Amino acid sequence: MSRPMARPRTRSFLRAGALLALVLLATACGMVPPEPHTTEAKEVFWLYNVILVMGGIVFVAVEGFIVYSVLRYRRRDDRLPTQIHGNNLVELIWTAIPTVIVLILFVLSTLTLNSVSQASTHPGVTIEVEGKQWSWVFHYLDDDGDPSNDVIVQGTALDGAVMAVPVGEPVKLILISNDVIHSFYVPAFLVKRDVVPLPEAKKPNELEFTVTEKGTYSGQCAEFCGDLHARMTFSVQAMARPDFDAWTAAIRAGETPAPSVPAGGGVLKVSAKNTAFDTKALEAAAGQPFKIEFTNDDSFDHNVGIWNGSEELFRGEIFSGPATKTYDVSGLPAGDYTFVCDVHPAMTGTLTVK
Amino acid sequence: MATTALTPTSETYRRSWVIEWLTTVDHKKIGILYIVNSFAFFFAAGILALLVRSELAVPGLQFLDERTYNQAFTMHGTIMIFLFVVPVLSGFANYIVPLQIGAPDMAFPRINALSFWFLPLGGLLIFSGYLFGGAAAEGWTLYTPLSGGKFSTGVGTDLWLIGLLLVGTASILGSINFIATIFKMRAPGMTLFRMPILVWTVLVTATLILLATPVLAAGMIALFIDRNYGGSFFDPNTGGNPILWQHLFWFFGHPEVYIVILPAMGVVSEILPVFTRRPLFGYRAFVHATIAIGLLSFSVWAHHMFTTGQVFMPFFSFMTALIAVPTGVKMFNWLATLWRGSIILATPMLFALGFLSMFLIGGISGVMLSAPPIDFHLQDTYFVVAHLHYVFFGGSVFGVFAATYYWFPKMTGRRLNEPLGKVHFWMHFIGFNLAFFPQHILGIQGMPRRVADYSPDAGWTLLNLMSTAGAVLIAASVLPFLVNVVATFINGERVGDDPWEGNTLEWATSSPPPAHNFDKLPPIRSERPVFDLRHRHDAERVSVAKVEDQ
Repeated sequence: MSRPMARPRTRSFLRAGALLALVLLATACGMVPPEPHTTEAKEVFWLYNVILVMGGIVFVAVEGFIVYSVLRYRRRDDRLPTQIHGNNLVELIWTAIPTVIVLILFVLSTLTLNSVSQASTHPGVTIEVEGKQWSWVFHYLDDDGDPSNDVIVQGTALDGAVMAVPVGEPVKLILISNDVIHSFYVPAFLVKRDVVPLPEAKKPNELEFTVTEKGTYSGQCAEFCGDLHARMTFSVQAMARPDFDAWTAAIRAGETPAPSVPAGGGVLKVSAKNTAFDTKALEAAAGQPFKIEFTNDDSFDHNVGIWNGSEELFRGEIFSGPATKTYDVSGLPAGDYTFVCDVHPAMTGTLTVK
Repeated sequence: MATTALTPTSETYRRSWVIEWLTTVDHKKIGILYIVNSFAFFFAAGILALLVRSELAVPGLQFLDERTYNQAFTMHGTIMIFLFVVPVLSGFANYIVPLQIGAPDMAFPRINALSFWFLPLGGLLIFSGYLFGGAAAEGWTLYTPLSGGKFSTGVGTDLWLIGLLLVGTASILGSINFIATIFKMRAPGMTLFRMPILVWTVLVTATLILLATPVLAAGMIALFIDRNYGGSFFDPNTGGNPILWQHLFWFFGHPEVYIVILPAMGVVSEILPVFTRRPLFGYRAFVHATIAIGLLSFSVWAHHMFTTGQVFMPFFSFMTALIAVPTGVKMFNWLATLWRGSIILATPMLFALGFLSMFLIGGISGVMLSAPPIDFHLQDTYFVVAHLHYVFFGGSVFGVFAATYYWFPKMTGRRLNEPLGKVHFWMHFIGFNLAFFPQHILGIQGMPRRVADYSPDAGWTLLNLMSTAGAVLIAASVLPFLVNVVATFINGERVGDDPWEGNTLEWATSSPPPAHNFDKLPPIRSERPVFDLRHRHDAERVSVAKVEDQ
């Protein structure tokens, strides 16, 4: 009786098993971190994968045991199974197993920790990183004792600051904050370090890494720091030493792409109150730069952004009121645009350019 | 006329049921009040979770602005932990522990009522921030200086502190009550090593609450002073240190994790033996492991603070990893209980097995995070969000539902509908994994937690969409559960006093039990007195057989 029944059942079990294996495999691929791009990250990557494999083995063994037991030992009759209350030898063995695993893990992770926390005596570049609500400031420290010629890169909540670093040289960051706690995090470097406002007597946190490949790596604040935490982004550009020197020289010479827009098209006035704009329609001349004087009468954040369909052409600084700020907008081609508060997408109006 | 005197239910003694429930000091009614109140907060905080997940489904801000989003995840975390998971388990403990040790009530019934009534009050105070200019929005951890007066000007944060102080006070009172009850109210024969595992876990939990909560309370009072009266505990500009708050918070916060997981482990350890018809394998080892977890939980708090650069990492890393040992012992004992058992997959058992398999994942990810170099990458990313949900939700909440299905017949005399229960389980199980497993991958790829928005170029959209779909499925799974509870309560199957063939003393009385709990108790000769009673004739047969063998 049971044999012809058993076959299709076995087959469907196999099929389900194969599907499960596929899902597990796909998942396992997702569980591997991004490709590491610093010498320190490569060590962490190795440690992570060792621990992931150990965890994976434990996972498959235990879940497998549960599923097997449930299938194999389902209640089939009313007999009482053997009443086993325990076994001291077995308890001893399965206390020893996790102890050994944990000790191996601890030794490996402490070795890696010591290795990645080593500070070099002569870093290629030292940058004082200031995190503030909600942007980053990168201040390249030099030894000439004259702060007026220092390279300082200031980001905004809308336009993250860029940190250029030379490839293959240790980069030392000194992490300071004067408001709340932030955290400097670059996923491709597999590291973050909190940027803590500490009392003066305490030494600020430091972080060191050596980037191994040229490229642009995005980063952002990882410690929740208030309203616009999600927009506190930056990027690290790793380049060859000559390019890096050219980059700093250009900034020293004042060639930073500062957005200065000569205003010729007049000033448009908009204000926001109770999460609504006071006007639904604005007009501007085509091709002429103009200013928007935006008054925020609410005690929370608003701004004015100009959108063409789903593309944002201009985004004014977000700020909380009551306050007024003037935005410089470069000339737009003729057409109908919408102006929107990017914080409250329901606040909209039409900007007609002709 | 002389024959009418001896009836105890006189007319003047009757009260309306509203007054009865509002003024009750019966541990069973208070337990039910705890449970109902906690589920109400569970649904409220669940709606907040849906708001958070909806906002994150695709890049861009669609439903909420940043401030509202930040309030939503702060309130979600706070309410779920302090007003759902902790009190709902206290509720079950309130109902079950006196019954399991053969006591007529808790040691201090009026304090028991007081510590319950602080909860809705505290919860409403926390929520009332929404009425006064916005709820707290600094995350449930309320890190300073962000939560200080300079950066969080709203009164919502003060209401959060006051409400949580009330909830904390309730916990402390409740824990003293549990400790006194368990040490002083046990029935004759109920020695410490015959107590059901749930009672052991509640005893250890109560001790943790008693030692850890005052530290948080002190921290919250200090923060309140900082915010309102110019204190300088946590303000670096006046000589304070913001890291101090993290120490105080996590000195409470990590034992808190065990406060919510230990009773759930207790629930599972009650259910597995009943639905496998085997004793819990290694009862004593299990008790020792519970005590070991309790002790170790006080030496690991700074593993939440590796990235602050302000703690001695090897010590906390080692202690954290070490907790895996007693936890591993428990897991092995559960597995050994299943082995060669006589397993029946009723809904409480499904949720208990769900607990085993999900808590395992939370445990493994926890061990991964205990290695500082790995924590440097994963801390404050969605990996941590996934990890904590696998512990709190996959662990504790599966335990809560297991307890609900298991003890509902005890509380009402009616069993929840099994097919609906199984629908609930599978929706819940699949929804949970769909919602939270992808968050591991998001975290590993570098998505920070507590962000209202993310870049469409980051490659996180698909996984976020999956996670949101899972959250919707979890929300939908509440429907069969609620329908089941209401329908069963009104017109469910009456199943007698002991529908599951339980092991422990709560099944030795009627369902629901009378106000004084027991008319008589069976002899207590092991941790399974009701099992012994049921199988006393088997034992006689065995001993007769043994005599014949000789």
